[in-house]
Amino acid sequence: MTGNNAAVTKRQPIRTGSVIRFLFLLVLSISMIYPVLWMLTIALSGSGGMFEVPPEWIPHEFHFNNFIEGAKKVEFGHVFLNSLIISLIVTIGQVVSSLFVGYGIARIPFPGRKLWFYLFIGSMMLPSIVSLIPVFFVFAKIGLYNTWWPILLPAFFGNPFFIFLCRQFYSAVPYSYDEAAKIDGANHLQIMTKVIVPMSIPLVVTMIILSFQGSWNEYLQPLVYLQDQKLWPLSVAVASFSGAYGTTWNHFMAVNLLYMLPLLILFFAAQKYFMQGLGSLNNSGLK
Amino acid sequence: MKKSFWQKDGVIGYMFILPGVIGFLFFVAYPLLSSIYFSMTKWSGFDTPKFIGLKNFKYMFTMDPTFWPGLRATILYAVISVPLGLVLGLALAMLLNRSLPGIKIFRTLFYLPVVLPIVATSTLWLFVYEPQFGLANNVLKAIGLHPVEWLTDSRTALMSLMVIALWGVGSNMIIFLGGLQSVPSDVYEAAEIDGASKFRAFFSVTIPLITPTLFLQLITGMIGAFQTFVQPSILTKDGGPDFSTMLLNFSIYKNAFQGQDFGYAIAQVWVLFVLIILFTIIAFKSSSSFVYYENDSR
Repeated sequence: MTGNNAAVTKRQPIRTGSVIRFLFLLVLSISMIYPVLWMLTIALSGSGGMFEVPPEWIPHEFHFNNFIEGAKKVEFGHVFLNSLIISLIVTIGQVVSSLFVGYGIARIPFPGRKLWFYLFIGSMMLPSIVSLIPVFFVFAKIGLYNTWWPILLPAFFGNPFFIFLCRQFYSAVPYSYDEAAKIDGANHLQIMTKVIVPMSIPLVVTMIILSFQGSWNEYLQPLVYLQDQKLWPLSVAVASFSGAYGTTWNHFMAVNLLYMLPLLILFFAAQKYFMQGLGSLNNSGLK
Repeated sequence: MKKSFWQKDGVIGYMFILPGVIGFLFFVAYPLLSSIYFSMTKWSGFDTPKFIGLKNFKYMFTMDPTFWPGLRATILYAVISVPLGLVLGLALAMLLNRSLPGIKIFRTLFYLPVVLPIVATSTLWLFVYEPQFGLANNVLKAIGLHPVEWLTDSRTALMSLMVIALWGVGSNMIIFLGGLQSVPSDVYEAAEIDGASKFRAFFSVTIPLITPTLFLQLITGMIGAFQTFVQPSILTKDGGPDFSTMLLNFSIYKNAFQGQDFGYAIAQVWVLFVLIILFTIIAFKSSSSFVYYENDSR
């Protein structure tokens, strides 16, 4: 088929084309999320439910009790609270510190800012395990092993990716805003908190979401630093539960779902920002 | 009017970026420099590191039975799953770029796996791959094929981990969608007037205009893939059959925090680091031939 033919014939089959595309996407998306739906099936079925051949897609009776039984096994309330506290503090730390650094690099013309910007971006390339081991021993030496401090403290020293996002965003804001504020007698701290940051609420929300998500999912750091089960966040507790599953897959899947739940709620509540924030990445590509 | 010390841009600037500077010095510069030394020590973590020169590296390259299979797995994992993820992500983004009933729901469904905690999804996949009653084998049986020992067969174990990575293709999709939507529609109109087919327009207009996005994702995807840890640690616990899933990052963790062999683990860290730098340099060097920037004046 030549190019001309395609251009002429392309308008007529648009309906069937759309239908095919719709059905294709439907099948594909169902197969994508099928494991999650299946997980729900197991979480609701009795202890022998998943051994049945052929497997039951909808259990004939719902065992909501699995959620309670599973939650008891991992002391869910306690571990959930641990995760929540850690994630909230990490989020505040990362977002606030990155806003400062990003503003400084983008809006204050000081010597060496380009160098620091490249150093920050460059450090994104460093595998996190490079810093993990040497830093582990510093924290252990000052007596912070088996506490939350090694997980919480680093958050207050900026996140390279967020610094990058802030810098890209703030570099695009016209300088006339700063000048107008300066004439009114504002200093940089005031310009940042009263003018620039309020202009970038979508950016801030995006960072909050990404930071909370990242911290909620973090596994390696708590695994390395926290020996005491009482201090564990959900990630480590769930992983250790999976090692000891035995025959209680249904309890385990119920807990797994409970672990996912806050992120699911966050995702659906803040969908717009998820899509926007990541979309804005394109305009800030590595140029 | 002369500015006081605290009003100088240089001073204020550094006050603003101070968190980043401290973070860089402590979490990047110090670990990097100290690990050059640590990589040449015998160090259990409790004793003082003992300098042994290049013995760690010699052991790694000549004696350690896990190293070469692990290195092979690490490279295979990155160079297969990342480009495949890019192609699939772009294909999905193309399908989801035009209006269609329920398009937002589709986008959400494809993005969903990316949002879920990786520990939770890894344990879920552990169950999907369960040989007796797992979902994967149920599907195979339903269409009349033989069940497969997904995670305990050295031929399929690494591939099984790649499938999980591809399940997260939604993150590529969403970034490509943003890229596609930033392509101005008049470019397509111009191409259509010039008589270009859709196929031709895709390769001559769409692809060139989204290469910066493509490149960014290639780099970040590679760096991420080289650091895969959770999947092998949960799904194939000891590095899989014949060390076929002994990904470097996981091997480092095992040697350090389970084997108490920190000097050796840090030597492996350097191999991982050099690997990432090498692949990044290759990507950057070759990028000039395929990445197109609209205003190339920079």
